[in-house]
Parts: sequence; structure tokens; C-alpha cells
Amino acid sequence: MVVEGRKDGRTERRTVEVDERCDTPPVAVPPDPIGRVVATERLPASPHEFHFWTEVETPIGIGAIVRVEGRARTVYAVVVDAKAYSDLADPLHEVRVAAGIPGEHVAPTHRTEIRLWTAAVLRQVPQEPLQPVPLAEVFLASEQDVQVALRMESYVQVAEPTGIPIGLYATGGVSAPVYLDANFLLGPESAHLNISGVSGLATKTSAVEFLLKSVFTHFPHSKGRIAAVCFNVKGPDLCFLDQPGDLTPEDLEMYARLDIEPTPFDNVHYFAPFKADGININTLRSHADLIGSVQPLVWGLREVLDYHEVLLNRDDLDAKAAAFIDFLIDRVVEKEFRDEWGTTHRVRTFSELERLFRAIFDGLEASGRGDTWRTHHIATIRKIRNRLLNISTRCKGLVTDDGTSEDLPFGTFEDRSLYVIDVSGMDQLAQDLVFTRVVSKLREHLERRDLGVDHVIVFADELNKYAPEDGPDTYVRKMLLDISERGRYLGLVLFGAQQFRSQVHRRVVGNASTTMFGRMDMDELATPGYQVLSRATKIKLATLPKGEMMLRHPHFTQPVFLRFPRPPVMTGPAGVAAYPPATDVPFDEAVMRQLVALDRRVSPNSVAEIIADRREDDVRRALLATRRARPDDVLAYFRTALGPRVSHAPTAPAAAGTTPLQSVEDPYAR
Amino acid sequence: MTSAVMGETVVEARRRLREALLEAGGVVGDGKSAAAASPPLQTPFGIAEPVEGREVTAVAVGAPLRESRDAAFADGIQRYIVEGRIGVTPIIRAYVGAAVLDRRDRGLLPAKHEAEEFIVAPLERLTDATVAKLHETGLPVHDCGVAEREHPILDVQLAVQQIEQRRRRAEVSVVAAFRREFPDAWIVVDGSLRAYDEEARESRLLGVIKSHETQFLAGVDLETALTLPEAHRTTVFRRVGGREDAIHSWYLRLWDWVGQDILFGLVRVERQRGPQVLDEIEEICSWLLAERSPMSTPDTRWDRLLYPIHEVENYLKARAGSWW
Repeated sequence: MVVEGRKDGRTERRTVEVDERCDTPPVAVPPDPIGRVVATERLPASPHEFHFWTEVETPIGIGAIVRVEGRARTVYAVVVDAKAYSDLADPLHEVRVAAGIPGEHVAPTHRTEIRLWTAAVLRQVPQEPLQPVPLAEVFLASEQDVQVALRMESYVQVAEPTGIPIGLYATGGVSAPVYLDANFLLGPESAHLNISGVSGLATKTSAVEFLLKSVFTHFPHSKGRIAAVCFNVKGPDLCFLDQPGDLTPEDLEMYARLDIEPTPFDNVHYFAPFKADGININTLRSHADLIGSVQPLVWGLREVLDYHEVLLNRDDLDAKAAAFIDFLIDRVVEKEFRDEWGTTHRVRTFSELERLFRAIFDGLEASGRGDTWRTHHIATIRKIRNRLLNISTRCKGLVTDDGTSEDLPFGTFEDRSLYVIDVSGMDQLAQDLVFTRVVSKLREHLERRDLGVDHVIVFADELNKYAPEDGPDTYVRKMLLDISERGRYLGLVLFGAQQFRSQVHRRVVGNASTTMFGRMDMDELATPGYQVLSRATKIKLATLPKGEMMLRHPHFTQPVFLRFPRPPVMTGPAGVAAYPPATDVPFDEAVMRQLVALDRRVSPNSVAEIIADRREDDVRRALLATRRARPDDVLAYFRTALGPRVSHAPTAPAAAGTTPLQSVEDPYAR
Repeated sequence: MTSAVMGETVVEARRRLREALLEAGGVVGDGKSAAAASPPLQTPFGIAEPVEGREVTAVAVGAPLRESRDAAFADGIQRYIVEGRIGVTPIIRAYVGAAVLDRRDRGLLPAKHEAEEFIVAPLERLTDATVAKLHETGLPVHDCGVAEREHPILDVQLAVQQIEQRRRRAEVSVVAAFRREFPDAWIVVDGSLRAYDEEARESRLLGVIKSHETQFLAGVDLETALTLPEAHRTTVFRRVGGREDAIHSWYLRLWDWVGQDILFGLVRVERQRGPQVLDEIEEICSWLLAERSPMSTPDTRWDRLLYPIHEVENYLKARAGSWW
């Protein structure tokens, strides 16, 4: 097939041979051996490691997969270390013959030198009895060899394959697709993926975007429906997953070999909270052409109170405080609650909660009944009041004061769809709340089997921050630990990424069955977690180019280096350049734009006329209702949701001694 | 006397001796102690007469050749084990090997190789049945002759002479085989050209001798030869005696010997007589000087052992493996 790509602004075409995955005959490999196993008493060949020499000029390098052909035993191995040396006894001898001047004298004979490679065994055939590697010829692995070496035939060359392409192994002119086993990536056997690498060079986000595309393409339908929830925690990284990206012919060639369409995700749902003004959406995907596809994420008192542990620190949440909050949840919120002073409260919003608190304080003061209300000390009540009401300030934009909420479509998740929650512009506290609540809801629905899909991948970057190895035991960290340890039974899978794996909680990274490493920092590689890697492998990791990763997977007994193409989606910086974020606009203008984004027929003038002199909270509520309903006639629906215009004439205060009317500030209650 | 005082006295005595040597116009040696006397030399003296001038003199050699010369290098190895004895008669199993490594573009590649494993014994002292048993082993059986009486050491020495002969024969054979294939190639062999027939020596064949068991010069000529400064050669002389008349030779000092033994860095070069000897001697000496690099360390003979010859030895040892 002919593929087309763009590179440096030019369009390139290339003819690609499309392989039919595992049925493809192996790529022709030169039959000549490239080396021979050597073993001495000091460097013996063992069942798990051996050494071999090659010519000085050889196609192999660190990470190459080789095959040793013994008489009755074939061994597959990956090269993990290399040495070169000559018969020079002492460097001073070279100095002496060159009279101390490099280049002064070139020896008439090249010294005998050796390329001595160390390889770690991936697989032996037959597996039993396990024996030392035979001292035999070494061959470069063919495509077929790679499949056998990595034990991929057990899940790729079967009637119901569960292979998920992750990239191409490429060494010495041989390239072979590498597959992950869906049963070990997405459960139930094991699950979770963890990616490490330095910022900007490790292409962690790109790798996840490509892998999600691969999962959505190759996850077997027989194993159920799958979706992904991605938290965009910084910049515009995940804001343009539905837009096509620039792909080079090399990328397209890889997509063809991996049997993945190089197209952006076709079913992406974006969610973002409002900014503090409550009308402009807090996302970099705010260009007029894209903002219509971003759903506001708005939560009210109930959504917040259920996850108060996230928002309140340990000092706040002593036993007395927890008891009072539980009282509020059980007896007060969204219930008819009659206080001792005869007032009936129905608390649904932070405003109504504040009125309850005020009534308690005023009632206690007026009655002179001391410092306790329903066994709760007034100091505890004051503390909880301060903390809870502060939340609506710190999480302004996400948490509303008026009781409305706009949430992810829990229960109607769609198969092979992406749900991106942009929390990049939010306060850390609000990010924690969003993460915890969304994951908890996913877990609840997966337990009840009513989410709409059977498997959910949760992608969270910056695990250093959310699940640190040390530091306070936060609710978010507990949540991540819970996913890591029990998520696979539910179909809840964590794709986590971080710069420093050593700084992430060991149970979070330890439970990830599949691990990828991009370009790594040498300091990080010096930490104990990387002791199992050879020095050469570490150096390769520290110098990995973009688009290359080292992969560990349960089926692979040794790490494998592979290449993957750029994701088929627009990168964050490219997206921001192509779709510059809209600047914040005044309230009226923002309402008009959002309605126009929903329906191009909406006239700005008619919107201005409808919202003139209306309370902003009412307009927000109507706009949210319209966005949620997505009606055919947007303007008519908005007008209906806004309701009739009500006079704002001041209401006469109630006469002394008269019980105030319920919700006197609510004009619609009359 | 304490050991410290004794040590000072020894050092002082040594210093005085070395100063006396220098004052007398001599040079001081490397100061290495000799733990055992060298075995007696078989042929300590030879006869030679000058070819280049009337007496042997030292001639400065030009700078080492900068470019690598394509050439072949030949050497051989031998190993033997006294496997047992019939009475006091030794039965020896031996291995000889010889090879030519061809140097092209500074890289050495094996070109010719021969190896042989065989049995050596004084067959006259063995019964026919014993000899038959030796033949039944499948290994060639060679006679090493007998001394006038049985002697447990002398009999072994005779066998070793036989082994050395077969090693030289192998060396000559691989050189001849290489010569047939590459008639114009330069070949440097380890040791004397004596074993090669005249036809073989006619070509571009050089013998480089590291050991100086046989001295062909005497008196001032000998002193001139053995005290050559670095990068100097002697004038050419001719060996005298039978077929050796056709061999011309000269000494060449590869490394400065001051502070070392007198033979340090000294080689003797042999070439078949002819006008080409003097015509090409400067070029050959520059070439051999260049062969000081790479050094053949850690071999103890590195000062005289050319690296390519060292590599032929290594190649032969590798081919022989752990022959026992």
C-alpha cells in the first residue's frame, strides 16, 4: 500500500509492505551466524546468561535479540552488555611507541580486538531440562524468532488472539511487531501500565496516546466494551485527541505494520470546570471551533460532601469532626431538617448549608444554651463550617453554590471512547477532588456492572505528585493504591506516568504488570530500583531518542527495546498553535458564544435580549441545562430553562415573631 | 649489623660498581638478578665475513616507515608430553603447528596453517610388538634415534630434536604454500632462513632472529654489533659454511638498550644474498623499525618479538587449544 505523510512541511509518499501479522513469512535473515558463544571459567555460560563474540563491524547492539542454535537446543536472548578490548597489556605501551604524541605513529598492524557481548536469556526451547546455553553459533533473530523469544505466539498465534501492538522491535535490518497480552495489560490476569522518563524527551504522553489507539483497535470485542478516562493535568497535552496530527512516512509505515489506522480518536468527550467567573470554561481547548465539544464539569454540595476526606486534611478530620460531617450527610443534606428553633431546612447547596450554620449559631446564642448543639461542640461546628465553605471558594468553577451539577455520563459510557477531564487549570485541591470522585464513581459503577463498559483505563500523569513514595497518606494515594491492587478484578486499569519512578509509591509501580521506560535521568537510574539493569542498558536508557522505549511485560523475561510511531493526534503545542485558546470574554458574550457553539442559527442579538437584566446564576443554570439537553432548538430551550422574568423588588422583612417563609430568597418558591 | 645498614651497604656498593662501569666507558645493565645459569649453548659460534665494507660498523637507520607494508608473517609452535616409558625408554606424544598470517590494510588474516600430532620414540629400543601397538593408536610414529646408551634425559632431548625438525618442516611447508599463491609477497619468518632451500630464499623472504645463541662476529665487530644504539644497524655480513654461504645478515637495534641487557631490542635479520640486499636494506630496516608498534606485550620477549609474529604464535596456540 502507499502511505502519505508530512515531514518538515512536505508531503512524502512511501510504498509499504503490509504484513498479515503472525501469518507473515519471516523476514529473510542472512543465514550466516553473526557470532559464537564463548565460555571460560571466569565467564561461563549459564542457563540465564552467556557471552558471545562477533566481528568488529556487526549489526547488533544493546537490546538486539539473538538466537543460539545448539544441537538439540535453541536459545533466544537479548543483548544486555558489550565490551571491546585488544591485547594491549598497558596503555603506557601505546604512549611509548607513539613517543607521547597521538597520531604521530600509526601502527602497521591493527591490534587484535574483540567485540564481546553479554546476552540475557529470554527463552530456551526445549524449556526443560533447563541447561546452560550451548557453545554454538549465534544468529540475529528473525521476525519469527522475536515472536518465539518473547513468547508472543501463545496469545498472538491463537484462534482468539489477545495481542495489543505496542511497537516495533528493530535491529540490524530486522523489524518485528511486539504485542502485549490484553489479559495481562487490562486484566484479569494482571493489569496496569507504568511509564517513566524525563519530561519532554521520554514521550510518555505520546506513548500512552498511541497505546490507547492500539487498544481501541485491537482489544478483542469478545472481552467486552472498553473506554478510557484521561486526566489532563498539565498544559494542553490531551486537549486535541480528536484532531489529526503530523505523521511522517516512517510513522505511517509503522502504523501499517502494526495494523492500526493512523487516524485520531473518533469518539472523545471533553470535560472541564468553569473558571472562577462561572461562565468561561477553564481549558486550553477554548477555541470557538472546539469549545462546543467541551462539557462543563460542575459539582454541588452532595458531590463534594461525599468526598470530604479528600478536601479536609488529617488535622481537620478528627473523630468529632468526622462525626459531625456524617451527621450532616445522614440527617441534613437533601433532607427536610427541622432545627430546635422551629426552622425547617432543606440543604442542597453551600448557600443553604451556610444558612443552617447561621441558624445554629444564632439559635445557640439567643437561647443561651451553652456551647453544644446535638452533642456537637460549637468549636467543631465552626471548624467544619469554615472548612466546607472554604471549598466552594478554593474550587470555584468546579463547585457551585447553587446546587446544579454536571457530571461524566456514568452509566452510559460508550465502547472505545475517550473521556478527557481537563484539570490543568485547577487548584491542587480541586484536582484531587476530581480525580478521587471520578475514579470512585468508576469503581462503583464497575462493581455494579452498570457503567456502560466492562473495562476502563484511567490515565494519570505525574504519579510522583499523586502517589508519592513518601509524604502524607492522602486520599488520592489511597485511591491509586486501591486501583493498583484491586482494580484488575473490576476492569479498572491504571495507566500511570511519572518522571521519577523511584519517587512513586512502590505498590503503585510494583502492581503495574507492564512497564515502559523512555529517556531516563542518570541520577534516577542510579537508584536501587534499576540495579537489575546492566550498565550498558542504563546508558542506552539515558540516551534513548524520542519514539523509543524499553518495555517490560509479564511474558517477556527480559526488557525489550522498541520503537513506536508518533500518536495519530495533534500534540498539545500544535493544537494550541492551530486552535489558539479564546480569551476570557464578559459574561453576556460568553453565554452568547456558548449558545452559538451549540447551534449556529442562534442570533447574538436574541441572546442578549433574553439575558438582559437576568441574574447571572439563573443564566448559568439555564445554560447548563441547555448544554446538557442539547436540544434541536437551542434558543427556545434556553429561554424556557431561564423561566419568566421576575421582579427584583425588595421584599418586606417579616414581622417580628413571625416564622420566616421557607426559602424567602428564592423568587420561584412563591 | 642491622638489615637497614646492610641494605645501605649493598646499595652503596652497587652504586660504586655502576659508576666504575660508566667511568670505564661501559654501560650499566638492567640490574636483574639471575637465579639460575643458562643451559649450555649448542652452537655458540659461527663464522662470518663482511659484505658491506671491510669491517662491521654501525649505520643509522632512517625513520620508521609511516605506511603499513602488506606482508605475510610465519611461525611455528611445538608441544610434547612424555606419555610414558617402556623400561626407561620414553614414549612422547607431540604436536607441531605452523601458520602464515597475511597482513592487508593493517589487518592480519590467517592464510596458511598446518598442524600435526604424532608419537616420537627411540624405536630401536622397542620391540616390534610395542611399535605395532604405537601404530595402532592411529597417530603417526616417528623415530628419534638413539644415543650410545640409554639415558632418561638424553633420550627425551633426541625426541625433542625430532619434534623441532618436524616443526621447522611445517614452517617451511606453509611458507612454500603461501609463496605458490603469492609469489611476490614479502614474508617474514621467525628465526633463521637456514631451513629454507635456496629457491625459497630467492624471493622476498626475511628471517628475524630474536635469540643470539650463535655469534658470527668477534672482537670489535661483535662489540659494534651488540652495542648498537637504537635505530642503528650493522653493515651486512655473510655467514660462512656450506649452504649458509648464501645467507646475508645484519643486526638491527629496535629499542634503546641503555639501562637494559645488552641484547635488549636487538634482532638479527637474514636474507638470501643478492644485489637486492644492499639495495633494499634501508627500506627494510625502516619497515622493521615501524614494526615496534604495536608492542607484543605482555610477552617477555616484546623488545624483539614483532607483533605480527606474536599474533602468529597466538593464532597457533588458539588452534592448538588446550592440547595435552
